[in-house]
Amino acid sequence: MTGAHLFVPIVLPAAAGLLALLLAKKERLCAALALLATAAGLADAGLLFGKALNFAAPWGGLGFFEFSLRLDHFSGFVLLAAAGFGLLIALYSVAFMKGRSSAGQYWAYFLITLAFVNGAALADSLIVLLFFWEGLLLTLFGMIYVGHSGAWRTAMKAFVLTGVADLCMMAGVALTIYLAGGQMAMSKIQAHPLPTGGLASLAFILLMIGATAKAGAMPFHTWIPDAAIDAPLPFMALVPAALEKLAGIYFLARITLDLYVLKPGSRLSILLMALGCVTILLPVMMALVQKNYKRLLAFHAISQVGYMILGIGTAVPIGIVGGLFHMINHAMYKSCLFLTGGSVEKQAGTADLAQLGALRRQMPITFACFFVAAASICGVPPFNGFFSKELVYDGALKAGGAWSWGWVFYAAALAGSFFTAASFLKLGHAAYFDKPKQDKSAVREAPVSMLLPMLVIAGMCLLFGVWNQLPLQKLIQPILPAGMLKGEDFSGLIPHNWWLVAGTVAALLLALANHLWGARRAGSGLGAADHIHHAPGLAGIYDAAERRVFDPYEIGMKFADAVGWVTWQVDRAIDFLYDTVTVKLTAAFVFAVRVPHTGSHAMYLAWALVGLAAIVLLLMGAV
Amino acid sequence: MGNESLLLLTVCAPLLGSLLLPLLGQISEKLRNGAALLMVAAALACAAGLLPAAIAGTPVTCRIGGLDLFQADRLAVFMALVSTLVGAIIVLYSFGYISHYQHRNEYYFMVVLFLGAMMGLVFARNLIAMYLCWEITAIVCWRLIGFFRDKNCVLKADKAFLVTVFGAVCMLLGFIMVYVQVAKVSGGTGSFDMEVIKRTLAGHHVSNWAVGLILLGIFSKSATVPLHTWLPDAGVAPSPVTALLHAAVLVKIGVYAYARLFLVTMPVSDLWQVLVPMAAAISALVSAGAALIETDLKRIIAYSTISQIAFIFLGLSMGGKGQAIGVVGGLLYILMHGISKGGLFLCAGIVEQNAKCRDITKLGGLVKVMPVTAVAFLLCAFSVMGIPPLGGFFSKYLVINGALTSGQLLVGFTFLAGAVLTILYLFRVFNLVFLGEARTDWVGQGVGEKSPTMVFSVGALAFLSVAAGLLVKWPFDFAQQAVQQMGIMQ
Repeated sequence: MTGAHLFVPIVLPAAAGLLALLLAKKERLCAALALLATAAGLADAGLLFGKALNFAAPWGGLGFFEFSLRLDHFSGFVLLAAAGFGLLIALYSVAFMKGRSSAGQYWAYFLITLAFVNGAALADSLIVLLFFWEGLLLTLFGMIYVGHSGAWRTAMKAFVLTGVADLCMMAGVALTIYLAGGQMAMSKIQAHPLPTGGLASLAFILLMIGATAKAGAMPFHTWIPDAAIDAPLPFMALVPAALEKLAGIYFLARITLDLYVLKPGSRLSILLMALGCVTILLPVMMALVQKNYKRLLAFHAISQVGYMILGIGTAVPIGIVGGLFHMINHAMYKSCLFLTGGSVEKQAGTADLAQLGALRRQMPITFACFFVAAASICGVPPFNGFFSKELVYDGALKAGGAWSWGWVFYAAALAGSFFTAASFLKLGHAAYFDKPKQDKSAVREAPVSMLLPMLVIAGMCLLFGVWNQLPLQKLIQPILPAGMLKGEDFSGLIPHNWWLVAGTVAALLLALANHLWGARRAGSGLGAADHIHHAPGLAGIYDAAERRVFDPYEIGMKFADAVGWVTWQVDRAIDFLYDTVTVKLTAAFVFAVRVPHTGSHAMYLAWALVGLAAIVLLLMGAV
Repeated sequence: MGNESLLLLTVCAPLLGSLLLPLLGQISEKLRNGAALLMVAAALACAAGLLPAAIAGTPVTCRIGGLDLFQADRLAVFMALVSTLVGAIIVLYSFGYISHYQHRNEYYFMVVLFLGAMMGLVFARNLIAMYLCWEITAIVCWRLIGFFRDKNCVLKADKAFLVTVFGAVCMLLGFIMVYVQVAKVSGGTGSFDMEVIKRTLAGHHVSNWAVGLILLGIFSKSATVPLHTWLPDAGVAPSPVTALLHAAVLVKIGVYAYARLFLVTMPVSDLWQVLVPMAAAISALVSAGAALIETDLKRIIAYSTISQIAFIFLGLSMGGKGQAIGVVGGLLYILMHGISKGGLFLCAGIVEQNAKCRDITKLGGLVKVMPVTAVAFLLCAFSVMGIPPLGGFFSKYLVINGALTSGQLLVGFTFLAGAVLTILYLFRVFNLVFLGEARTDWVGQGVGEKSPTMVFSVGALAFLSVAAGLLVKWPFDFAQQAVQQMGIMQ
């Protein structure tokens, strides 16, 4: 196997995607093509996993501009995970997208997205990484755009927010290459990671903005809940739930482990941890009050990133391992949750919780998958989310070191768990247990091609929990630089810290009690969080948030308009100089010169004499 | 054919050939159209024929009347290729666009003469030859902007002419100061020959007054704030003409002259490596902001040009460690911007001609009746925004990289803000024109993409935007070789 083989994961889906774009009218052909390409992609990723390959070719000049790809353990892992989700969600989409007019385009963007993500995971040169990374903007726009005829507003929002973050990352890449003395290959910089401080800290933060925004962290996140409503649902399961988390956290880990030296307790580490905690807490509070199945999940897709950023930001091995483990766990349970949302929407005709209820009888398999995935995201033992969250908690406490300020972050993360559990109790209760508000007796279980991907992923959630040695020892722990782990192993069913388990269980029980109390008070599962929603002090904030007062996109657009208005005035003022001032001045000059031109020959002669005298005097003076 | 004849043909085929067009037009429309395209294509082919010699590194010189009038080095060949490539597509597009207006003979005469003057300017080795071609473009431009003859058009044409000629006269003064300085340094006579200037002034700085005066000429031609407002006003011209002004010829003259004069010919003080980026940053921000408010389709794209030209100036004017990266980026930017901005204007022309409206707040929903135009517009817009895999990504990255590597953080971040505004205003245009609710019943009125040649032209430019990104290696390598020949990098 040679380095050129690394083009297969990029070119294969890209070519299939372009072909699908040409055949966009023939929906079934496109679907078959996508299934074939993703299946081949998974086989190829399996083949490549665990191998180490390199490829480099000149890509323009300047001495350092190289098209270089690199396969190592980490990129192979991301490739494999992306390919797995690609195949499963492609299978799911076949039934879901059937009969939609834009299905052909959907398939094309689906495949090209996979190609770009694979490219980003395989990139060695930072510029190649940026190339694929920013390229994702195109398919992001396309996949939301095909949702329905008005979805372009959300598509543009996603494009603009992500685009701004990507431009920051572009500046970060440029600075990093400069700081590394013109070296742009990550595999080379890795040998001597850059120390932070001054310009390097700026570069680090810029790269971090790019990575965390891709993963969906605040403040570049607000397109995700909107896309949940507007985009085709499998897009949510594929991109924000799985691929973007993989890509974003992959690069964040590369920044903190390979490119820069991030020390536990340093300012940048604390900044990352704080960003993680804010990202955990605020979106989960929003999730709690949502009344739409998909929108509620979307807020969790943001909130959970916080745990990953917190874990990696701790810069201690247990936290990093936890963060990375949470990344793959989240990709699984969140895409599974979105897929259950999709089958509910497809079968019951709506994702509005107020109109759903009692689906556990008609859709038992979907419910079972929901149950497993929801238990995972809440961190119920022994599902996968439990183990990764425990590791992140442990990391947060350890990062505090001697001063033990780590408990602040731990408390924030634990509060996040409480709200997560509360909102999933509400969601499950409202969708699967509440009395249906309309007659939904005709609703049937989803078709097998949609159930199968959900079942596989739910099974994996359980597997990665009870047999966490498999992912931790085989996939996650080898990612860390050799000297960092010092032989530690974080896997195993028996928790490392019983205090943390006690804390988690307490938070879960508290959430359950809160839910039961709230549900009895409101008389339904849907209203179980109303006492928090309408709590004095919170009600106003929730109101404003729902009106998008805090949406950075809305604020940014207003700001841009204000900048536009000011510059427009400047521009008009300059134009006034040309169109009015110059014209008036010329007219005034002409007028002033015309006055003495009376037509009197004697006067002209006198001027001529005066002029002649002046010239003569001047010449005499010069001589 | 020898290289010298190729060079002469590149300049003369359009420059002198254009004089025949009105005569051919008396015989047959088709003959004249074909001849016009042929002349531009001949220039393109001849410029391509000069490539091997350029890559080999020996400049080709053409001596006329005892003067070394024209010289083709890598920089000149690069610029000539960009101009004639985009120019040829614009001429092709004109077949459809201009066919139902009057004065077609004059139109083709002026357009081909314009490209010819551009070739003369690009290959000029003598400052006076450069100035002459510069003024030919000003006159042609005046006729073309006022092409529709009504009072408003003529006023705008006068404005463009007056502003650019004011700049050009300042520039001429600057040239004379350089001449005098050459005379002083060499102790003999002065010279307008660029090679002589370069040899004589090596180790000296050209006087800052001269640089300032020449910059006035460059900025007025390249529409940089505050000498820019004639460019949006020039939007009254026929769309292929605006495309020509923005993408292929007119505004590119200024940036080319900057590279030719201040990077190759005259050593200038380091002061300008700070001042010019700052002026460019202001220009980028002011015009991008204005583009966000303006509602006339063509004026928005014109403001976009002003903003993007500032990016090119940024790349070309960097000093220090980032200079080589910046200049390569600036040259690539000329190519990428030429292709995609040409595409945007030609798309605007299709919209304007068929929907009979340029106010974006009155358009909308056109994607249904003009699907190819919409996709082409979007692809070109993505390239201008700098989104990979389109070509604009590389040029934008390199320019920003150059600025940051030179340590000009503030300027670099101002340009990042400009890049954000670019995304916003281009999306605003695209959304209001092509998406959303149609404010008029397009289908009922039979609005559609009428002319196949026009649709083919915009498709070709959109395709080139993509191809330039995927195959960036070739233009990149050549731009880099040009920068090496300019003596900026080893």
